[in-house]
Amino acid sequence: MPVVTLNLKRLEKLVGAKSGKSKIIDALPFLGLDIEEETKDYIKVEYSPNRPDYATDVGIAAGLQGLFGLKKGTEKLDIKKSDKSALIKTDATTKKSRPYICGIIAKNGKLDNETIKQIIALQEDLHFGVGRRRKKASVGIHDLDKISLPLTYTVASRGHKFVPLLMNQEMDMEQILEKMDAGRDYGHLLQNQQSVPIILDSKKNTISFPPIINSALTAISTKTKNILVEVTGTDKNAMEDTLAVVVTMLHGLGFILHDIKTDTRNASQIFKTRSITLDTDFVGQILGMNIAPSAICNYLRKCRLDATARGKKIICSVPRFRFDIFGSMDLVEEVALGYGIQNLTTSLPASTSVGEKDTITKKLDQLSQIMIGLGFTEVLNSSLTSKHVLYDATKRNPDGMIEVLESKSQEYTILRDSILPGILENLSRNIHESYPQKLFETGIIFSRDTPIKESVSIACLSAHKDTSFTEIKAALQSLLKTDSNVECSTKASSNPMFAQGKTADVIIDGKKVGTMGEIDSQVIENFKIRVPVSGFELVLSDFIL
Amino acid sequence: MSLVLHPIEKTIIKLLKTAPDLTEEQIAEKTGLSIDQTRRGIEWLRLKNLATVSESEKSFVKLGANGIKAKQEGLPERNLLNMIAAKPLPFSELQKKLGAEINVAIANAKKNDWIEIQKGETENIVSLKQKPGQTREEKMISYIAENKVAVDQIKDSATLESIKRRPDFLIIETTKSRTVSLSEQARAIDTEKQDAGAIDVEADVPLVHAARTHPLKDTISEIREVFVSLGFSEIAGNLAQPSFWNFDALFTPQDHPAREMQDTFYIKGKAAEKFANPIQIKRVSDSHKKSWKYDWNVNAAKKMVLRTHTTCVTIKYIAENKPDEARVFSLGRVFRNEKVSYKHLVEFNQVEGIVVGKNVSLRDLMGLQTEFYKKMGLYKIKFWPTFFPYTEPSLQTMVYNERLGKWVELFGMGIFRPEVTRPFGITRPVLAWGGGIERIAMLKYGLDDVREFYNNNLSWLRTVPKCQ
Repeated sequence: MPVVTLNLKRLEKLVGAKSGKSKIIDALPFLGLDIEEETKDYIKVEYSPNRPDYATDVGIAAGLQGLFGLKKGTEKLDIKKSDKSALIKTDATTKKSRPYICGIIAKNGKLDNETIKQIIALQEDLHFGVGRRRKKASVGIHDLDKISLPLTYTVASRGHKFVPLLMNQEMDMEQILEKMDAGRDYGHLLQNQQSVPIILDSKKNTISFPPIINSALTAISTKTKNILVEVTGTDKNAMEDTLAVVVTMLHGLGFILHDIKTDTRNASQIFKTRSITLDTDFVGQILGMNIAPSAICNYLRKCRLDATARGKKIICSVPRFRFDIFGSMDLVEEVALGYGIQNLTTSLPASTSVGEKDTITKKLDQLSQIMIGLGFTEVLNSSLTSKHVLYDATKRNPDGMIEVLESKSQEYTILRDSILPGILENLSRNIHESYPQKLFETGIIFSRDTPIKESVSIACLSAHKDTSFTEIKAALQSLLKTDSNVECSTKASSNPMFAQGKTADVIIDGKKVGTMGEIDSQVIENFKIRVPVSGFELVLSDFIL
Repeated sequence: MSLVLHPIEKTIIKLLKTAPDLTEEQIAEKTGLSIDQTRRGIEWLRLKNLATVSESEKSFVKLGANGIKAKQEGLPERNLLNMIAAKPLPFSELQKKLGAEINVAIANAKKNDWIEIQKGETENIVSLKQKPGQTREEKMISYIAENKVAVDQIKDSATLESIKRRPDFLIIETTKSRTVSLSEQARAIDTEKQDAGAIDVEADVPLVHAARTHPLKDTISEIREVFVSLGFSEIAGNLAQPSFWNFDALFTPQDHPAREMQDTFYIKGKAAEKFANPIQIKRVSDSHKKSWKYDWNVNAAKKMVLRTHTTCVTIKYIAENKPDEARVFSLGRVFRNEKVSYKHLVEFNQVEGIVVGKNVSLRDLMGLQTEFYKKMGLYKIKFWPTFFPYTEPSLQTMVYNERLGKWVELFGMGIFRPEVTRPFGITRPVLAWGGGIERIAMLKYGLDDVREFYNNNLSWLRTVPKCQ
């Protein structure tokens, strides 16, 4: 989850009307913001990725103003018409890689360092979430006064040069893709095309190389008064979402918005509100309380939405940047937030149902009890393990191995097809503890099928200087007899994990359901265990589940 | 203080009454007890104030390699005398016989005035002047060879020093010895009168460890019992699931970051062939297209993943059973492709309960939570709004932890989104809640590192108290 650091003094000022630090801190969780860290002057909060407007204190302040009743309803976005030069010309060349562009101009505002930091963070969140790592949409924010309008969105060869952001010398596109972090991270979005997207101004200055990096020329600073925002991408909807969030933030910062035209095939920059109708009874049912239409409207407006009641119907108007709202259920949540979760009293639904555990759970509970009676202590291992433990060290056959892709850890790459290797690993980690060590585990094992078969298994190992086939066969028989009065036979077999001549298949009703025996001395050595070990494993799904 | 004595203690007291102030080794030797038994017995007596132990250092002398050789073959100068006893011999011949020792032999014999060296025609001739009896050095070497001799026992220190000067003749060993003496109270004990067969009931005994269930399993069982007692029935499902049930059916768009390999484990190899009926697939696909505005791809839905939550089991259950009323829960392992740390595991346990009903509400969900936590012994709770992709409204429970002195986040909850339930023909509200079990178990066992549950460290498993 993304995190934003808030300067409390600044936030207090943005919220206004002497709201007070502690009142603000107490209210933050009720906007859905988790407090991560708190100091005297700063507070770090985690916000959910579906609310990128909370990446900035302007967005959070708007939310708090609503909850405190200082400002309700939506902020109207007034977008002024620009003169003819405010234009982004596009040509057909960008169609192949990154076809769309749209933008906005924001004038007469002020940026301080804190705001710039937040704008950059907001940009990154939008790139990651809505923009799907810049594939669907990416946004560039420029100092308008360094640009000569109109702009042209076109392509350039990979040899084209300009000074990218954060650099002080010219680089060509190829160098940027190879040497800069952003180039390496997002270069794959340009596939292997000969020409790459570029935004030029009327003096042929490069202002951006989307979706990789902007130029150093147009970087925003605390001196910037007028801003140009451009969004490029492959998904018009995601681009409009992105632009709407940025525009709302700039409006909140006090900028005056002006349009910048693009040709019709591009994404729109008209930030239309959506109308969703909500039924009073539905809200009452979901929240479990009687609630009047006028109260619903009030709570929605506290969540910075517009709402009017017509009888029991509520017409809610949702601003463009609230694309987290899909339908009426999302509005019920807004009503709950406006009402205040802390004000909801709890109730208990009437029920006559009788609960019951799953049959497998019950069976495993019973088997575990018997194993404990036999002196075995329960261990728990993960289903994901390593080839080393599962096959190499135990000398087992890896032909049926089931791998997961791109695991972050070498120890968790293979799904276990047996429980015993994990318990051997446990013994090897406990060689300094007193013996006898008698351990058991129950759990799921995996095998290849169409596509994967899961079976329930139980396994145990006994490690001490006098352990033997006899000891473990006695335990096995006692387990089966006590659990379900089942008799088993043991038939000589061979299995590389067990000692030659001291291992057997466990047979019930003529069917093999498990293996048992004394563990092979080489295997014991592989696990650096210094005492003999014997044990069994039964696949329960094959006979009693 | 019980005066019941162990047989070992009695044996030691009996001995020390006749021969006070012995070392541990001497006691062991004289009583026939093993050194371990002796030490244990002395320790018991010491704890009972029946014996005192004083530690002292003592140096002993024994023969080194050359000393042993001299003992067996004689000192070099003695060997020289024996060679020339019959007739004088030339230097070269003696050198052949004595080898490297010739110089020492000549030097010592000359010093003691035992030999005479005369110039011959070609070389020096060595002849006997007088043959002495056993020297002091020879006597001392024999004595040391035959006895364990304490350095302070040797009175003739000049001789000792002169032997010491010969390389590798003597080794001085310093050992620590513990001398045991009885207290007055112990000396008064009549060991014969001690109660026959009585044992020291106050003495320490060896540790034994009860075989037991795993501590995390205890918390899992406790949670199961709470669900059952609240009228919930357990449902189960596979750990490996087609993406369809883990993601698509739960309204997670196919390009959502959570579906990427760096968060989710995909299983190498075959994808699922049959995973849902065609109507279910069509409706889920439509729901995605309508809400997320993209081309839903059936092949992405077929890919097998290790489930990232138990919700896939729940949604499949309600899709297949379409209950009007239900209280079910599912509990089991879930997986995340994460770096393992003190707070993250790749595989952990999750529980999730759902209630389906005509008139169930968010307040009911909060009420059920409160009840659940009360039964788990957690009373101080509150609710905060949060975000989950498949529930709306969504809340999280915060529980106050006394040990940490702060609120910690536990289970999440919400009402399944209509975009999730509608494609499966469910029209009634579905209340859902759940979360990781290890988090609760950590609070219960006071652990700060979640990995401890899967380390299977016997010293912990054997000794951690069961908690209620």
